[in-house]
Amino acid sequence: MKGGTIWTIAAKDLRESTATGQVLAPVAIVPFVFVVLYPVGLLLALRSMSPADAHDLVSKIPTSAFPGTGELTVQGQAAYISTVYLFAGFFLIIPTMVAVVLAANSFAGEKERHTLEGVLYTPVTDTALVVGKIVGAALPAVVISWVCFGVYTTLVNILGNPLVGHWYFPTLNWWVLMVLLVPAVSVFVTACVVWVSARVSSYQSANSIAGFAVLPLILLVVGQATGVMLLGPGFFAVLGLVLVVVDVVMMRWIITTFDRERVVASFL
Amino acid sequence: MMKEATTFPSDRTPAVEAAAAGQESSRFAIEVAGLARSFGETTVLDGVDLRLESGGVFGLLGPNGAGKTTTVRILTGVLRADRASCLRVLGHDLPDEIASVRPHIGVQTDTALYDRLTGLDNLTFFGRLYGMSSADATRAAHALLDRFGLGDRQAHRVGTYSKGMKQKALIARALIADPELVFLDEPTAGLDPEAAHELMMYIHDLSIEQGRTFFITSHRLEEMESICTKVGVLSRGRIAAQGAPAEVARMLVPDVRIRITVAPPTVLDQSAVLALEGVRTVTPVESGAMVELTTRQAVPAVVRAIAAMPGDLLGIAEEPPTLEEAYLRLVHTQERVHTQEGAAVGGAR
Ligand SMILES: Nc1ncnc2c1ncn2[C@@H]1O[C@H](COP(=O)(O)OP(=O)(O)OP(=O)(O)O)[C@@H](O)[C@H]1O
Ligand SMILES: [Mg+2]
Repeated sequence: MKGGTIWTIAAKDLRESTATGQVLAPVAIVPFVFVVLYPVGLLLALRSMSPADAHDLVSKIPTSAFPGTGELTVQGQAAYISTVYLFAGFFLIIPTMVAVVLAANSFAGEKERHTLEGVLYTPVTDTALVVGKIVGAALPAVVISWVCFGVYTTLVNILGNPLVGHWYFPTLNWWVLMVLLVPAVSVFVTACVVWVSARVSSYQSANSIAGFAVLPLILLVVGQATGVMLLGPGFFAVLGLVLVVVDVVMMRWIITTFDRERVVASFL
Repeated sequence: MMKEATTFPSDRTPAVEAAAAGQESSRFAIEVAGLARSFGETTVLDGVDLRLESGGVFGLLGPNGAGKTTTVRILTGVLRADRASCLRVLGHDLPDEIASVRPHIGVQTDTALYDRLTGLDNLTFFGRLYGMSSADATRAAHALLDRFGLGDRQAHRVGTYSKGMKQKALIARALIADPELVFLDEPTAGLDPEAAHELMMYIHDLSIEQGRTFFITSHRLEEMESICTKVGVLSRGRIAAQGAPAEVARMLVPDVRIRITVAPPTVLDQSAVLALEGVRTVTPVESGAMVELTTRQAVPAVVRAIAAMPGDLLGIAEEPPTLEEAYLRLVHTQERVHTQEGAAVGGAR
């Protein structure tokens, strides 16, 4: 029964955000730039570069720090390091962006459009409402990230394999990233936005507060992620699990502090 | 607005349902005593007392900003009361037992529907929130949208609806889960006169035939007078008068008004009537005059005097005060009292 209500709320949000292109279009364009233009541009450039130029480029990178690059040509090293390590951060930024936009739209946006109050009169529990809203924003964030991952994997294998000399992508680290970290980050970001949204009155302010508060945090995680990836999939998975625990704690806290009066009174 | 032959989605009455479920069904749908609520410095409700029997239509009246919407929000559990010695809805104490109340109430306030979803999707979504199965919710949504004349627009986005259509869809939404107690906050706002009338008739039917209780706020006093079994006037934070509309009107308007029909009408000497003891005003009407008396005791003497005047006295009928007159009088009196109090306080300083 509760699961049903959670899904009802999430599905309604999904339907609303896909009903017009206005919500999803901006969040689809940026990932496209990340997963298509950058890697394709870089890999094509590497292919046409002279070995000397490539050497100059790679000499600035401490290649010995990156496992799996020992026996590669310089072009191969550059291709491997960028596609396996450097671009990994994009895949935390993509779900973050999508989740911020969708969550702000669904919670603060609903307050602003005066649709949330109607829901508060129904028998919906605080838990179902909060979890439903989080699922409704985090799920598309994860799905969009996975689609991007599929596109990225295809491009890397087509353009990167000739440079590296063998099939190398996705690495185990990437599976941990996609299966564990992307969902965990999506939920984390959505929860932050929902928490903010319950306390501000407009979509705009939810969006910008979330932008100011969440993005630096995520950039921090992104920065660390590359480092942690170097330590291997095991450590990376631990980071993901820690984030999952943080998610659970945050969600419980949002639910216990959720106050219908604040939602109703703050938009008057 | 409502098409014939469409019946309400359920033929079970809430009363029957409650009895079948073996629930203790309270005689009062709403019991409130000493309800108070302020927003910052502004005291909105200051000791509201109210008792509503199940199955009637209650009309809450009051000027803009009197606190009608606030009262509805407190009774539906989305706002807290600052204090209340009794706050009980459908036999459950608020705010603690609000979860037991919510499944049985339907609420229409100044909220919006999802513009980007269709009318049908909007209603079905709410039905699902009340725990209805998808099939039941869809069936109920179809029936209600038909009933409100929106059947042919149900697959269109609500954003494309006119104001009145949105209002109808909002009211339909409040009824989706077959609620026992329905709160409608200015339901006829934005409706054309015919639609407003039909809505009132529909509410009347739902309360009479199915025993549902309605709690309505409105500024259209004529409508309220015609369908409410009870009205309350909210003024300066309290229910200043409550009872059946006619009762409230008589209580608030102590003067007696009688319609005198004489033939030929022109023969009536108005200044002579006005000079009679106890007569306050004389207003000429087509067939004679409307005479306002300050007390009921003055009636026999005045009637005798008029009968003795030239012309044939064809009829004498008491014209009861309307709810609107009573309301206006109450609100004005309260304002005057308040101004005087204010002046007295100011003068004492
Ligand atoms: N959340 C809030 N914060 C501050 N003041 C509020 C809030 N909600 C209501 N008020 C104030 O409470 C008073 C009563 O408001 P309410 O909406 O209950 O009036 P109303 O009787 O429904 O009026 P109307 O006939 O215009 O709908 C108003 O002065 C309003 O400004
Ligand atoms: Mg109001």
